[in-house]
Amino acid sequence: MGRYVIRRLIQAIPVLLGATLFIFAIVFALPGDPVEALAGEKRQDPAILAVIRDQYHLNDPLLVQYWHYITGIVLEGDFGKTFAGVPVTQLLAGKLQVTLNLALVALTLEAVIGVLLGLWAALRRGRATDTAILASTLLLISIPTLVTGFVLQLWLGVWLKQAVGTEIFPIAGATQGLKSYLLPGFVLAGTSIAYLTRLTRTSLVETLRSDYIRTATAKGLSRRRVVGRHGLRNALIPMVTYLGADLGALMGGAVITETIFNLPGIGKQLYDGVYLREQPIVVGIVTILVLVYILANLVVDMLYAVLDPRIRYE
Amino acid sequence: MSDNPRPDTQTLTADQGTQTPSPPVKHRKKEAKPASLWSDAWHDLRRRPMFIFSLVLIAILVVMSFWPSLFTSIDPLDARTCELSSARQGPSPGHLFGRDNLGCDVFARTIYGAKNSIIIGVATMAITAIIGGLLGLIAGTRGGITDTITSRITEVFFAIPSILGALLITATFRDAGLGIWIVVFALSIIAWPMTFRIMRAAVLTARSQDFVLAARALGAGQSRIMFRHLLPNAIAPVIVVATINLGGFIAAEAALSFLGVGVQSPDISWGLMIADARSRFLEAPLPLVFPAVFLSITVLAFIMLGDAVRDALDPKLR
Amino acid sequence: MRVTRGARIVAGTALLALAVAACGGGATPSGGDPTAGGGETTPVRMELGEPQNLLVPSNTTESEGAELLAAVFEPLVNYDENKQAVEAAAESITSEDNITWTIKLKPGYTWHNGEPLVAQNYVDAWNYAANQDNAQGAGYFFGRIDGYGDLAPGEGKEVTTKEMKGLKVVDDTTFTVTLAAPFSQFKVMLGYTAFYPLPKAAFGPDGKVTDAYGEQPIGQGLFKLDKPYKKGTDQTVDLTVYDKYPGTKPTGWTKLQFKLYNSAETAYNDLQADNIDIQDQLPASAIASAKTALGDRYVDQPDAGIGYVGFPLQYNDEYKDIKVREAISMAIDRKTIAETVFSGTRAPADDFINPAIAGYRQGACAACTYDPGKAKEQYAAAKGPAKLELGYNADGGHKEWIEAVANNLRANLQVEVTVKPFEKFAAILDDLDAKKYKGMFRMGWAIDYPSAENYLTPIFSTGAITNGSNYAGYSNKEFDDLVAKGDQAATAEEGLKFYQQADDVLIRDLPYIPVYFYRNNSGYSTKVKNVKINLLNQVEWADVQKA
Repeated sequence: MGRYVIRRLIQAIPVLLGATLFIFAIVFALPGDPVEALAGEKRQDPAILAVIRDQYHLNDPLLVQYWHYITGIVLEGDFGKTFAGVPVTQLLAGKLQVTLNLALVALTLEAVIGVLLGLWAALRRGRATDTAILASTLLLISIPTLVTGFVLQLWLGVWLKQAVGTEIFPIAGATQGLKSYLLPGFVLAGTSIAYLTRLTRTSLVETLRSDYIRTATAKGLSRRRVVGRHGLRNALIPMVTYLGADLGALMGGAVITETIFNLPGIGKQLYDGVYLREQPIVVGIVTILVLVYILANLVVDMLYAVLDPRIRYE
Repeated sequence: MSDNPRPDTQTLTADQGTQTPSPPVKHRKKEAKPASLWSDAWHDLRRRPMFIFSLVLIAILVVMSFWPSLFTSIDPLDARTCELSSARQGPSPGHLFGRDNLGCDVFARTIYGAKNSIIIGVATMAITAIIGGLLGLIAGTRGGITDTITSRITEVFFAIPSILGALLITATFRDAGLGIWIVVFALSIIAWPMTFRIMRAAVLTARSQDFVLAARALGAGQSRIMFRHLLPNAIAPVIVVATINLGGFIAAEAALSFLGVGVQSPDISWGLMIADARSRFLEAPLPLVFPAVFLSITVLAFIMLGDAVRDALDPKLR
Repeated sequence: MRVTRGARIVAGTALLALAVAACGGGATPSGGDPTAGGGETTPVRMELGEPQNLLVPSNTTESEGAELLAAVFEPLVNYDENKQAVEAAAESITSEDNITWTIKLKPGYTWHNGEPLVAQNYVDAWNYAANQDNAQGAGYFFGRIDGYGDLAPGEGKEVTTKEMKGLKVVDDTTFTVTLAAPFSQFKVMLGYTAFYPLPKAAFGPDGKVTDAYGEQPIGQGLFKLDKPYKKGTDQTVDLTVYDKYPGTKPTGWTKLQFKLYNSAETAYNDLQADNIDIQDQLPASAIASAKTALGDRYVDQPDAGIGYVGFPLQYNDEYKDIKVREAISMAIDRKTIAETVFSGTRAPADDFINPAIAGYRQGACAACTYDPGKAKEQYAAAKGPAKLELGYNADGGHKEWIEAVANNLRANLQVEVTVKPFEKFAAILDDLDAKKYKGMFRMGWAIDYPSAENYLTPIFSTGAITNGSNYAGYSNKEFDDLVAKGDQAATAEEGLKFYQQADDVLIRDLPYIPVYFYRNNSGYSTKVKNVKINLLNQVEWADVQKA
């Protein structure tokens, strides 16, 4: 097991290099001039642009730029500076916290709500409850985040505060601890909750049909034990896969939620970084996300072995 | 309820909310006739009301996509049908769903928007299911170095956040003149690793089951094991996720439209309509609600189809 | 996983610290409590977008950073209600010949670190800004000063000196500015961010403005920053009234807080919930609600910006015929677009000069009146192109009005119109520079200084093709001469006459089509009153009172 983990971590190095080079190259290849984009709608003096290009090595060929970037990290721990002169590490340290908090809240909500709803639907399959749950997941899937976010902010943020006189869900910002993250966390998790509910329901229904469940029931085990110990545990594999993969997706895909709820996270930063062609920011964030994926996937793979003793890693 | 879980062929029909009694399933002997898994499934499917119902819905949507003029006499592509001064007006005779932010008829736009939305959903689903499913099957079956390499590649793709990926791809190819296919392309590239992982996980589970070991012991070849034994046992979750994803893709197109890189006017799509109507949602909800309802119905139809096919393919049910 | 847990603990304490700070400041919203807005130290809270750069005046060319710096610095001139420049930090600004300007400073101003404000501070700041090696975004503001060429000789050329020869310190309170050519509007320019002075403390040993200064700029204005602003991390910027500020201070409050938002719609929700006090630009989607929800706390006033549709005249001959451009202009229903698409946050444009600025003439542009019948006839007669393309940048909320214009053209001219989004305005510029994009494009102009001249030279002069914002590539000697005459005129009135004649040339030639004038739509909470927004879209802080 230990050796397996180490091997996986070593394998992560080429993934990291591959992903950063890939992103570095694609941002490099984007049409448009990063420095000109800085100037907004007024044309900037070419002499000034030349100085900035020089400062950021933008005139060098792709691989030379990448070399500057990587050696900066390895030799000096320097992830570069934004065009505004802010070190990327400083910028991301603060924003990463916010996004990580948001993603973890979202993931928790997703896991709890998704599994409970899925479980409930599976046990009541074919009945009205099941239908209602499945219908609401459909609704969650087909209404985009940008709509749910805005509407929930208005209803639960503004109107509820006006109605009851105190703030229950903060409208914007991340200054009020966990409270600040509940509403955006739910909005961010929305589609994933729907997916997980359906996935849970499907796997569980599937599992509950298996022979060993029938055996367990025939043996006279209590229903709770059959479902909990035998059913759920075996149905967990696809669910855990989904959750593991979703953590990174939640972190990287939070642009719209972060914008609506004014959370200073990396999602918005990433979006701006792409628009401004700020390679250090984009690549820095992608590096972090790759790491999150690698770790989350490793944990998921470890969990496979725990959940299903037939799966082994040597 | 099911204190006594039984192999119930109709278990997953709940989307439809029906209590229709399922037709008795004929158990056929697999080896008696050289019928493939797929023809078995087809025999089974024909008897399912849910399958029929979803097919009818999909048929209506397809007709709507290709002959929208059967449903509305207004041509939304003709700018003269839009009246900016009546923008955001509620329903009125001749304009059943009201008018949108630019004063165009919402009903006609919704009908005409079906085509692009459905193409995006179906094409992306097909591409991701085939690429992700196939690679997942291969990686899960062969294991070892193949698995390692493909898994690392998916990690690279996975790690690139979907919106970033879509933005980068659409921005890079914005001049390629691909129309809505650029959206399909972008969504496929970012979505296939999910299918890959689901398939791989399912194959990993199936691989260590007795019947696979037995088949291997009997000298079955790699590809026979893969397609004959592992695929049928692992495809169910892929189909479920793919059919749900279909709706997700149609909705994701709305997010891309919101960021300015989705379907471009004068083309119409539901996602574009939703994104355009969002800013004035509180003043005029209908231009958002109607495409969203059509989107939901489409999602519903494909999910029902997916569930039915899944049940029919699942050999354990026979 | 230890990494994650560690990060969460850090996050937790950081959040806690912020929450405590907010409580200490009394900013915790408490609906219905009548004393909530009362205390002297309860901050007035204003919405702000994240400044693009560190807070250095000469590198701030966008509205958000400028709004923040305006609270920290006192400009040489302010603008009164008649749109005229009046001295603020300056005692007098005079010139005999529009070439040599003498600027005398008012006594009593000190920097937030206690040092007195001296003339040298201006000269240092301006020389720094103009030097191309320092890559300051607002460097071009100094282009009219004699010796600018020595500091900004152009790409690839060596900068040989550190000073512009046109700047001379006479004594501690006086300096002179010599321009390269006469310019009657020079005094009007001086209210802008780029012309703020810099204290000695701003410069590091290498002669560059330090990053530390950019995080916590030391100014000589009404407010000073409480602590360095960590860009990207901080969600608020807190300021306190500077005791030794010699001008008018606000009564009844001493703390100002900028809250950073990246969506105007979110900020508007916070405004409705009384979580912020002032929002200086409401989104169009909020206007209908704001009129009823805010009542007389909703403010609607002209804003100096203009929106155009432009033509790539330089290399696409399809638009060469003025008749074609006129027909396109007449086919656009500006009034309905302003009312429905913008909900009244724009006004239909009928001149190249904005009504917020002296020199505007109502109805000056005849071809800006909606006349679909005449448009169609004239377009057909002039054999306008059968296919039109309309480009815009997707990041600025322009889609809807561009689509509306496209529909106008489709319906009224019977042509095929495609709409092309670019991800950034710079992408349009690139394609125009490369002569790759042949269609029409949207363009907007927010003024650099409140003078009619600013709607002319930077956008339409021949010189601005290479060194300005003349993206159309329009060039007309008659126009250039008239503007030059205006620049040299002895009095402002006389200058304006020439500028208006130049404006007439534009109206005749229509290199761009003016579509709308911006309006400023702001709102404030129940906790403040007397909120006034000036010509630069900045709040007049001394006037604001607690309600």
